[in-house]
Amino acid sequence: MYLGRAGTEEKPRGGREFAGDAAHGEVVHEPEARLQTTSMLAPALLASIRAVVGADGVVDRPEALLVYECDGYTLERAAPEAVVLPRTPEEVSGVLKLLASDGIPFVPRGAGTGLSGGTLPVGAPVMICTSRLQAIELVDAKNRRVVVQAGVVNQWVTNAVRAYGLHYAPDPSSQPACTIGGNVAENSGGPHTLKYGVTTNHVLGVELALPTGELVSLGGLVEDRPGYDLVGLCVGSEGTFGIVTRATLRLVRSPEAYKTLLAVFESVDAASEAVSGIIAAGIVPAALEMMDRLMLEAVEAAFRIGLPTDAGAVLLVELDGPSVGLDPQAASVAAVCRANQVREIRVARDDAERAALWKCRKRAFGAVGRLAPNYCTQDGVVPRTRVPDILRSIAAAGERHRVRIGNVFHAGDGNIHPILLFDERDPDEVARVLAAGREILEACVALGGSLTGEHGIGVEKIAQMPLLFAPDDLLAMTRLRAVFDPAGRANPHKIFPDAKVCVEARAPRRRAAV
Amino acid sequence: MTPWADIVGLAHVAPGGAADAVDGVVPRAVVRPGSIDEVRSCVGAAAGIRAALVTSGLGAHLDLGGPPARLDVLLRLDRLAAVVDHQAGDMTVTVEAGCALPHLAGTLATAGQWLPLDPPRPATTTIGGLIAADLSGPLRASQGRVRDLLLGIRVVGFDGALVSGGGRVVKNVAGYDLPKLHVGALGTVGVIVEATFKVRPRPAREEAVRIATKSPREATEVALALLDDPEVAPYWLEVVGSGVLDGDGAAAVVGLAGIPEEVEHARARVLAATRTRGLEAMTVADGDALRLRLGAIPGEPAAALLRAAMLPADVGEFMEHVDAVARTMDARARSIAHAANGVVRIAIEQPGVAASLIAALRPALAARGGSFVVERAVPSVKVSCDVWGDAGPGFPLMRRLKEAFDPAGILAPGRFVGGL
Repeated sequence: MYLGRAGTEEKPRGGREFAGDAAHGEVVHEPEARLQTTSMLAPALLASIRAVVGADGVVDRPEALLVYECDGYTLERAAPEAVVLPRTPEEVSGVLKLLASDGIPFVPRGAGTGLSGGTLPVGAPVMICTSRLQAIELVDAKNRRVVVQAGVVNQWVTNAVRAYGLHYAPDPSSQPACTIGGNVAENSGGPHTLKYGVTTNHVLGVELALPTGELVSLGGLVEDRPGYDLVGLCVGSEGTFGIVTRATLRLVRSPEAYKTLLAVFESVDAASEAVSGIIAAGIVPAALEMMDRLMLEAVEAAFRIGLPTDAGAVLLVELDGPSVGLDPQAASVAAVCRANQVREIRVARDDAERAALWKCRKRAFGAVGRLAPNYCTQDGVVPRTRVPDILRSIAAAGERHRVRIGNVFHAGDGNIHPILLFDERDPDEVARVLAAGREILEACVALGGSLTGEHGIGVEKIAQMPLLFAPDDLLAMTRLRAVFDPAGRANPHKIFPDAKVCVEARAPRRRAAV
Repeated sequence: MTPWADIVGLAHVAPGGAADAVDGVVPRAVVRPGSIDEVRSCVGAAAGIRAALVTSGLGAHLDLGGPPARLDVLLRLDRLAAVVDHQAGDMTVTVEAGCALPHLAGTLATAGQWLPLDPPRPATTTIGGLIAADLSGPLRASQGRVRDLLLGIRVVGFDGALVSGGGRVVKNVAGYDLPKLHVGALGTVGVIVEATFKVRPRPAREEAVRIATKSPREATEVALALLDDPEVAPYWLEVVGSGVLDGDGAAAVVGLAGIPEEVEHARARVLAATRTRGLEAMTVADGDALRLRLGAIPGEPAAALLRAAMLPADVGEFMEHVDAVARTMDARARSIAHAANGVVRIAIEQPGVAASLIAALRPALAARGGSFVVERAVPSVKVSCDVWGDAGPGFPLMRRLKEAFDPAGILAPGRFVGGL
């Protein structure tokens, strides 16, 4: 994590070479870029952009820009000089062509629900929002495909196809607000990815507006397109290849039935052991989520559905599929839980009870507002059997830095989401939160995991990338980026410590290797 | 033989012979490195003298792709055959590229797990080949393809650098998804040396129901109706062309898997649906064996094996069209489809017919967003047609990608789309 704000212990420093030891909290992009005190945009350019997107398609009054100064990652803020709201892919293309002719960098944005600062305008004066690209262009229920524009909200896709017994599987907690374009950029996950996979498993094609403004259609309705998997490379590229304007998505047949269980444990260790036991029993639940005591308190205070606030942890286990198989599988899950000293197991008796349980899970983050003025959600991954280890590391980091930390996460995937509570008016506490967050990520990597399972690197985790990747790995990624965006104008200063430094650092070793 | 013998030892270098030919092109040397470091040295040495490499495992799928534009060294990775790390509790496995699927399957089976990918020629398919050729079989209907199961990869780049992408955990969005770069790339942007996959529990039971139909079109209708039944939840779903299995007619074959209760219920549903349509159905208790048999269809030897991709609903009509066109050429096409995925594989016995069939049918498929590629063929077929067809509007990006990851053009030049 990283804090770009004055008055804390950590001051951003620029231009650091990442190839050396991965120092903590040292920021590698230029902090001056965030200030943007001098305008890069000529009035004539803005006039040309207005001609493309309409007068209401450009926002540049300072007070109106405040909304756009951060996404769901609120620890850093920077307002763009102008926000452009195109209405069609062709308008996106038109705007990008204008920016290309002036060499202006840009940052794409969907609904702004991202959690790693991927839409923070860093050295990019123009923000291009895809939120007005709202058409669902094709629903092919027979072949289970939809074609949607980038600004279509995740939940709308399922709403549009539910009547056919189909749904769009990736279901991030922000699904009532987040857009497909943002999901594609971040390769978003969600609770049900344990069984159904993440965004990349459900995207068959994208239309990409390259930084030159050229619209390129990659992949499409049909599988097995010959050639490199450019669609797979675009998914999760965090807006650094250009702007995805359309996506062709695969739909999933909705299961016949669900069985949703809430298993209450005295300790997180016991709940973690149960997770391992369920996996070892060969059961693949649709979802396997854990909430610890602090989160139970917050969620119960918010929703009052009778959660046990004195329990150490609960597991939310959802099985789905043909109904005939659910009772035997639920019995197996219950047996594993009993072997791990479960206190009680509750089973949702109907759709309303199931919906209530999921509401608690998906709105858990919002419920945290009752515990502290601010919170920061971390996102890391460990091998699933190491969940008990990482939870102990999280607790230790919290104690060491005097930070309250709750946990609500995708236990079945080993994808942790510690929620660090703080008050942003207390700079010392903010610094301690950042330090604890860093330690947690380092612990994830040390356990063989990853820096992020579904939120992306954005600006938040740039400094940690060298923990996970060697210089040669990062060089391959920057080479790939240059295929799509040779000038580095699409969402600059994201993901990578510094592309230029990377190439220079690599060159002598390359000669040595051959 | 130098510099290869200096790197891998004299015992692991041999001059290329007819048996090592790739699409009729005989390599000058066959080099078998015994470690990742040796692979790095080999690629680095090749780059130094601009020697063109084709990477192979056990050679089972080398006939996919265009004839190599140049070929100096066949780099065989069959000595890199270890299962590096199977974490049963995490349901992940890390394995070297030259590991053959049966060896990996044996390791995974000890934990009741498997890698649910079932390519043709499984006994001689290696992990590297599985990824590079993006191989799949009937299981892709429910279990996905290589791209859905591959978590991480280690690749030797054109300059001898060892590059890691992805990781060993089941969820990971740190940086770009580099493993995807190498899936189906036929070794044209790097030499895959190691991969990490997510694995799955092997279902307790796997059965199949074979439904006899009058035509491929009817078989496709039946198949897609079963796919729409959440009480059946097909594990796999094949449509078999007329006269391909045994008997004259076409068939829909549905795989059912899960715990016994699920399989029994699904079987009853399928049989009931079949009766309603007035069709004959036969239950096959050993679904696994039938699936392997179907995966080997349309069979070999054939002059050419073609693969067409389309929307699932178009499969039956296309298979009938292929039959009709083949008949006008006095030829016979044997075809089978992964119906849920819209992929039809066709075997042709006469070399001359394959190219004509492609010329006749490719434009219509391409116009509907599909493709028609030569999966395997005798060299005479390959020189008479474009193996891949048009790669679509993304091709300029693909060419730049190839240039970025193989600037000297030493990695399997000429084998991929558009001669990349």
